Amino acid sequence: MWVSLAAIIVVASAIGIGIMLAISWFPAQGSNVAPKIDTFWNVLIVVSVPIFVSVVTMMLFSIWRWRQRPGEEGLDGPPIHGSTKLEVIWTIIPTIIIAALSTYAAILLLDIQAAPAKGTRVVNVNGIQFAWNFETKTDAGPVKSNLLYLPVNEPVTFDIRSKDVIHAFWVPAFRMQVDAVPGITTSYSLTPTKVGSFDIVCAELCGLGHAYMRSTVTVLPPARYKAVMAGLAHASAAVGGSK
Amino acid sequence: MASKIRQAGWYRALAFTILGIAVCIGLSTGLRAAFGLNPVYDGTAVLQISLLMVPIFFLGGIGCFDYWLRWASGRKVVDDHADHGAKSWKDYFKVNTDHKVIGIQYICVSFFFMFVGGLMAMLVRAELAAPGRQFVDPNTYNGLFSVHATLLIFLFVIPVFAGIANYVLPLMIGAPDMAFPRLNALSFWMLPLAGVMMLLSFLAPGGSFAAGWTAYAPLSVDAPIGQAFFTIAVQFAGASSIATALNFLVTIITMRAPGMTFFRMPLLVWANFSTSLLVVIATPFIAASQFMVLLDRALGFNFFNPAGGGDVLMYQHVFWFYSHPAVYIMMLPGFGIISEVLATRARKPVFGYRMMAFSLLAIVLLGFTVWAHHMFVSGMPNWVRIPMMATTAIIAIPTGIKIFSWVATLWRGVLKMDTPMLWATGFIAMFTLGGISGVMLAMVPLDIHVSDTYFIVAHIHYVLFGGSLFTIFAGIYFWFPKMTGRMFNEKLGKIHFWLTFVFFNLTFAPMHLIGVQGMPRRVSDYAEQFATWNMIISISSFILGLSSLIFLYNMVASWRSGPKASSNPWNSLTIEWQVSSPPPIFNFDTIPSVVGGPYEYGVPGAVHAIVGDPAKDLVPAGAGATEGHS
Amino acid sequence: MEAAAIPAPAAQDDHHHGPPVANQSSRVNSEVLGILLFIISEIMLFGAFFAAYFFIRVVNADGWPPGAGLPVAVAATNAAILLSSSVTMHWTDVSAKRGNQAGMRIGIVTTFLLGCTFLFIQINEYLHLGFTPKTSASASVFFGLTGLHGAHVIIGLLLLWMSAVRIFKGKVGPANYKGLEVPGIYWHFVDAMWIVVFTTIYVL
Repeated sequence: MWVSLAAIIVVASAIGIGIMLAISWFPAQGSNVAPKIDTFWNVLIVVSVPIFVSVVTMMLFSIWRWRQRPGEEGLDGPPIHGSTKLEVIWTIIPTIIIAALSTYAAILLLDIQAAPAKGTRVVNVNGIQFAWNFETKTDAGPVKSNLLYLPVNEPVTFDIRSKDVIHAFWVPAFRMQVDAVPGITTSYSLTPTKVGSFDIVCAELCGLGHAYMRSTVTVLPPARYKAVMAGLAHASAAVGGSK
Repeated sequence: MASKIRQAGWYRALAFTILGIAVCIGLSTGLRAAFGLNPVYDGTAVLQISLLMVPIFFLGGIGCFDYWLRWASGRKVVDDHADHGAKSWKDYFKVNTDHKVIGIQYICVSFFFMFVGGLMAMLVRAELAAPGRQFVDPNTYNGLFSVHATLLIFLFVIPVFAGIANYVLPLMIGAPDMAFPRLNALSFWMLPLAGVMMLLSFLAPGGSFAAGWTAYAPLSVDAPIGQAFFTIAVQFAGASSIATALNFLVTIITMRAPGMTFFRMPLLVWANFSTSLLVVIATPFIAASQFMVLLDRALGFNFFNPAGGGDVLMYQHVFWFYSHPAVYIMMLPGFGIISEVLATRARKPVFGYRMMAFSLLAIVLLGFTVWAHHMFVSGMPNWVRIPMMATTAIIAIPTGIKIFSWVATLWRGVLKMDTPMLWATGFIAMFTLGGISGVMLAMVPLDIHVSDTYFIVAHIHYVLFGGSLFTIFAGIYFWFPKMTGRMFNEKLGKIHFWLTFVFFNLTFAPMHLIGVQGMPRRVSDYAEQFATWNMIISISSFILGLSSLIFLYNMVASWRSGPKASSNPWNSLTIEWQVSSPPPIFNFDTIPSVVGGPYEYGVPGAVHAIVGDPAKDLVPAGAGATEGHS
Repeated sequence: MEAAAIPAPAAQDDHHHGPPVANQSSRVNSEVLGILLFIISEIMLFGAFFAAYFFIRVVNADGWPPGAGLPVAVAATNAAILLSSSVTMHWTDVSAKRGNQAGMRIGIVTTFLLGCTFLFIQINEYLHLGFTPKTSASASVFFGLTGLHGAHVIIGLLLLWMSAVRIFKGKVGPANYKGLEVPGIYWHFVDAMWIVVFTTIYVL
């Protein structure tokens, strides 16, 4: 019985892990942080599936094997009150798993939150109801825009603010999200690693227009980026530049 | 007519309500005149004062304060037992001090709000079935999901558990009633007031409250007057909850039958004891958070106004300090129910009784140390985030102990897979999934990506629907014969379970995926790429919603004309099953004596409690004969 | 095997008997336990406002005290008044247990009047502070905490009033003083909380 149960659990877990890993969960990997998060996710899947499969297998097996059969209506099960050995095992093993995952997560967090190098480009992100405003200082002058442009493979720090209510600045492709909180400046840093256009989404209920508070970040090769920003700087200056 | 208004009841409640509104108008205009504010009559001011005070007038009118005021005025008071208990359906619409009546009142009112809140969910899913606007504008949409969540949390899950416990717990511990029956009645009557207030918000100018059930400042401070309905209704629901919890704690501590030591209490009692501790300690924080919002809104305080030196994040800290324990308030009683159902239907003691009791207490303690995991992306420093991640992950350990113990309870039992058992085993599977997504969310690097997305919506519903609601159904079906004296239709019960199980998973499982792919929550519209999954989810949700009608029909039809139930259809050992179905009005003629543990199945002749006059009764309640198979 | 099915009793049976007397499974008196649990929830309510104070004064460093300064002496006088009222409340309790009717009457009236004096001084202080809650977050916290306390003083005064009515009607005595003891415990809580509020807001 134990061998067959173990076999079922191993096979079902393998199938489950296979399916779960095969699913395309994430959008494109747009930043240096993305592959690390995606790998972490895969680790979580590999750990979680066997736990779920074990619980459900043991439960379904019990239901199949010890279902009340005709004639057993008056019968009871054996008066088993517990087993200290079993309780120790199923306390210690989850503790080890939790400790391991938490350690991995803590190290990963410190890694992705590592302070950016001096001189990293700063983009000021301002959330208002219901739009994103981006402000970057470039050699050609400050650029203010509702669309975000970034050069590929260059680190950037986002300083995020809000004037009215709480918003959340989220770029799914970058795998980073942080709230825009009135009264404080939040920030995060990363390096975009893929050329392309990616969604920017507001992820904190901010009122009527929350669903429409979206924008796009376009990551460009450095030369192209310079050209685009020069053009925008010119346009910003022409408009007058103040918030 | 005059006598109808002088007696406690609905006529007087109506009269007092009108009087209350008049008083509020007077108070508002008087105060505004005294402070030199213009215009002296201001509708918003009247409304805010009315929301606070008119419910109290109603409660006075319906009769919640009569006895106490009489006692306080020094007049003679008589405990009139003739009023105790329900003899007709009308008694359920009055102030009644019988815990069994109050329990049924709670359960019925809670299910009413479940259906209303569930209907709102259907409207939400209808709007989300396709991209673009379908039926409602964004403001109405925001109101729909806000009221949906608020009703289901404060007007369904929390009170229905209170109702089930109210009915069962005194019987289970061998007490004639709760410690404070009049307070119990008051606790109940505050509830429909809170619910009606929340629904009335749809009529307010500017629409219902629409800042989510979390009502973050500054959005909730700036919102139109509909928000005040949430702010104040939550106070009444919270007061109801605290008073009930206080009642449970005193009842459990001081009114157990002789011989019922703490370690001979059924786990439902342990679960409600733990939950009540959480309620008494944590609920004041949500009251405070809403007081602060109210003060900011109505009187210009600066708690959450950064321009005035206030702190926006402070709202979240105060709010979540309650609202995280709240999720355990919404789950622990369900854990108790599952232990009762599994032991009885598997004919085996609950595995690891002591650890099951201690794990409840561990969850209570740990539950206070994790609140900031709802704020991982709010800009908190790592020295807060990493410890909160650790404590959040640690809660998985006592919870895991419970899940493994329940499965071990099934192991080698004699399993009767009837409706309550289906819900209990379904719960184990669904809650394991919800718990796993919870551990994933505890990991900050992942939470940074999926915070406030549909992954969170998936997690919430796996633990609250697949978790709490499944246990609620298990409990309702399990104690239905005891409460109504009739048996429900087993076939319909099974159909209800399977439809719910299948379509629940079809509705909420895909949400994990679209959340990780990039769909945020609380949005009335979304990017084209999510259209297919949203359509599948919406259609599944409609069938899920319809399946609840089977439950409603079963309950109503069986209550009216189902086959009569015996006192102990499940052959259970706990005390509530040793009295008739429904129980006698005062529960017992003499208090039972507890002589053993509550789950001594498999021990021939084992007895948990001796109920009734041993000389008169035919045979004391005992376990089944020989143990089943090995 | 199965427990004998117990038939539902006829509807009229139980009214002759009334409920059986519950077993006392603890030496703790239920009313006292009840008020203590209620006070725990009240302490948590104050705790949330103290948390607000912490965020605004310590974390945000909004500037303390609000306005030009706080009238510490007045608040200290009020603390003394409230402490005295706890003493008189205790005396009232003791008188009840001894059956001293005159003692009870004097005690409860004195306690009530001391409480009213506290409230009067507090309201007067509010009018002469020089700032309002709208002035700043620190001001809001000041009014929030002291106002919350003041609201509890009012509740306490209501309870004292009801106790006074019963005392003057001769309903309180050695056999029957729970109805006085419970409001008394609440009043002591209100007093103790003032010490904490006073120390936090005015002294620190």
